[in-house]
Parts: sequence; structure tokens; C-alpha cells
Amino acid sequence: MNKISNLFTKHFRNFHFISIIIIIVVLFVGGKFVNPYINQTVSFVFYSPFAKMKNAFLEMRSIAADNARLSKALIDLSMKIEFYEESALENERLRSILGFEPPPNYALIPAKVISISGEFTPISATINKGSNDSIWVDQPVINQQGLIGRISSVAPDFSVVQLLTDPSNRVAARVVASREMGIIKYNTNSGMYLDNFPIQGDIAVNDLVISSGLGGVYPAGLKVGTVTEVVKKDLEPFYKVKILPASDFYSLEELFILRETGE
Amino acid sequence: MTKFIPYFLYLWLIAMHQVFLADVTSIFGAKINLAVLIVLLVSMYKSEIISVWFGLCVGIIGYAGITELSPWIALVMAVLGLTAYHIKEKLNLDSLLARVSLIFGGTLVLNIILLVLEVNDGFLISMAKYALPGAIYTTIIGTIFFLIKDNVFTFDKTKSIF
Repeated sequence: MNKISNLFTKHFRNFHFISIIIIIVVLFVGGKFVNPYINQTVSFVFYSPFAKMKNAFLEMRSIAADNARLSKALIDLSMKIEFYEESALENERLRSILGFEPPPNYALIPAKVISISGEFTPISATINKGSNDSIWVDQPVINQQGLIGRISSVAPDFSVVQLLTDPSNRVAARVVASREMGIIKYNTNSGMYLDNFPIQGDIAVNDLVISSGLGGVYPAGLKVGTVTEVVKKDLEPFYKVKILPASDFYSLEELFILRETGE
Repeated sequence: MTKFIPYFLYLWLIAMHQVFLADVTSIFGAKINLAVLIVLLVSMYKSEIISVWFGLCVGIIGYAGITELSPWIALVMAVLGLTAYHIKEKLNLDSLLARVSLIFGGTLVLNIILLVLEVNDGFLISMAKYALPGAIYTTIIGTIFFLIKDNVFTFDKTKSIF
């Protein structure tokens, strides 16, 4: 045993070199059989962990890129959906307008609302039609729901509509059921009401109120609203009649100006 | 057994470099040949036997993908380890220039041998495009290593510049 040990110690360097040469010879001679196993083992021990990490990293980067792309697509699609929903609503409104008939001797000039002014309630609206479209002051303005107001000023390309909700606006009106008349006014606190309606008159909640045609601005028969409350105060000769406007003045979009045809 | 751990770590470092960093750190196709750099560094600071064994292992492990050339590369790396060790024995390793020259020479020779083994056409172009720039790049990394090892580059000195 000692002899072997001494031999090994004496030829330590040669022993290593012979081992290395044998390995290299085995690699050369038996390469086809040995190399695949060596590659497999080396790949498993040394490369596989890093390759897995690299793949995971690349996958994360690709997921991050996908995420950014999908987020952008989501925003685009959300905007498209909003646009389509808006188009559907507009389509619905325009369909309802299609069957809309103007009063006799009047023609409808369609217009779009550009802006609405008013501190607490909308009192005026700017529309996209002006004197170039044969619009002039005091023409009545309606929509498919009812009376909206009148043209108060005109520019070549746009006009301003004084809405019924402007406290300074007045409309001569009539209760359809009783044919009694009064004056439609608007108060920011109490809303729209029918003033000067005599206590002798016959009026009830849900009665329809239309324009009477007196005053020369608004033609007769335009729907103004419905009665919601009738209050009688002692010693006063008139009812206080609250009116629910036929039109929603907070969501005006398409309006029609009534132009006399002269027929 | 614990004395083999650093060498395993070197081999893992080489594998990690090849998987992660080789492409990222390449400049105009010139790559750091970390396998050769580490074989040469081991030859400079370790014994002859360790140098040859480590060269052989790097040859087998570092170039495992190239099945047909594996034996050749294992042989070349083992010989490189041995040669570098014997050159080092005749050099004054205190001189930075000597160490850098050894790194540059060793890397360039190995790159040329790899080109001879791998490339059939356009040898000179490949040498100018990959082998020489690769050797220079590896030498620069080796030089930085020596400067850090010799405490020429230290954190405090770098900080004092700014």
C-alpha cells in the first residue's frame, strides 16, 4: 500500500497529465457516445438554471409589453364604445325627431346647441345657425318635447336662444282642458309657474299647458308643460300654478327654429 | 472537497455570462471571452495541475453546445492553461503590463484557434471583426480586474474624484 502511495506521490504530476490525456482521448474517440451525455449533464447543472431565469425574465418583459399594449387597446376600445353609445343615443333622438311635425304655416330649421349659459339654471343657449340661415330675432324655438324659447340675438353664423327658464321671459299660455289663459314665468327658486290664472278658472294637476298664440311671438298650440300643483292663497284673485316644463332644459342638443312660411 | 467550490463558482459564472451577459455586453459583435479570461487568471495564481484541469473543465463546460468541436476545445483550453502557467513562471507578475500582455496574447490565440476550427471562409475578415476586438475587449476587462485587485481602483479613490 505504501509503495502505491509513494508511487502516486512521486508521479503526482504525471498521473494528472495522463488522466487529462485519457479524458481528451475518450472525448475524441468516443465523442459520439460520450458527448451527448456530457452536454446533457453540463446543461442541466450549469446552464439550465440560468436559461430558466433568462426565459422567466424575457417572459416577464413580454408580459409587461403585452400589458402596456392591451392597456392602450383597452383605452382605445373604451373610447370607441363611448363614441358608439353616444352615436346610438343620437340615433335614437334623431329617429324621434323624424316624425316631428311643425305647426301649420311654419317650417322647421334644425340647429345644434353649441353652448348653454346660466349660473344656476340654463337661461340661454347658443345654436349653430345664424342670419346666413334666415334666422332672425323673436323666432320661436322648439324641440320634439315642446317649446324651448325664442331667438334673442343673431349673428351671421350663430344665434342665442332665450330659454323659457330665463326669468325675464314670458309666454302667453292656455290650459288645454279649460281653455283658460295665464302667463308662463320662471323663477329660479320655485321653477316654472303659470301666473295670472284666475281663481274662477278650472284647473287640475296633470292638465296640459300650451302656448296661446297671444303676443305674436309664439304660435298657438306649442306644448309648454303640465300642471304639477295648484295653490290658492287667501285674498288673492289668482291661483299659483306650478308647471313641469315639457322640455328638459339641462340636456338640450338638437333644436328647431320655427320660420313662418307665409302660406 | 470545499477547495473545489471556487472553481465550481467560476464555472457557473462562465455559464451565467454565456446565458445572460455575453450578448448584452457585446460591442459591435466583439464579446468578452470570460472563459479564457478566468482560465488565464487561474493559471496566473494557481498551480500547474489546477491550471490544466480547470482549462479542461472550462473547455468541456464552457463550450458544451458545440458538440463536434468539444474535444478540440477541451484540448486547446487545457493546453492554454498549461502554457499560460509556464509563461507566467518566466514573467514578472508584479508588472501590470506583463499580466495584461499575457491576457491579450492568450485570448487572441484562443480566438484565432476557435476561428480556425469554426470558420471556413472569410478568416481574415472574421479575425478583424471578432477575434481581435474580442481579445482587446477581454484584455480591458482583465486590466480593470488587475487594477481593482492591486488597489489602484478603489471605491474611496473613485469617490474622491467626484
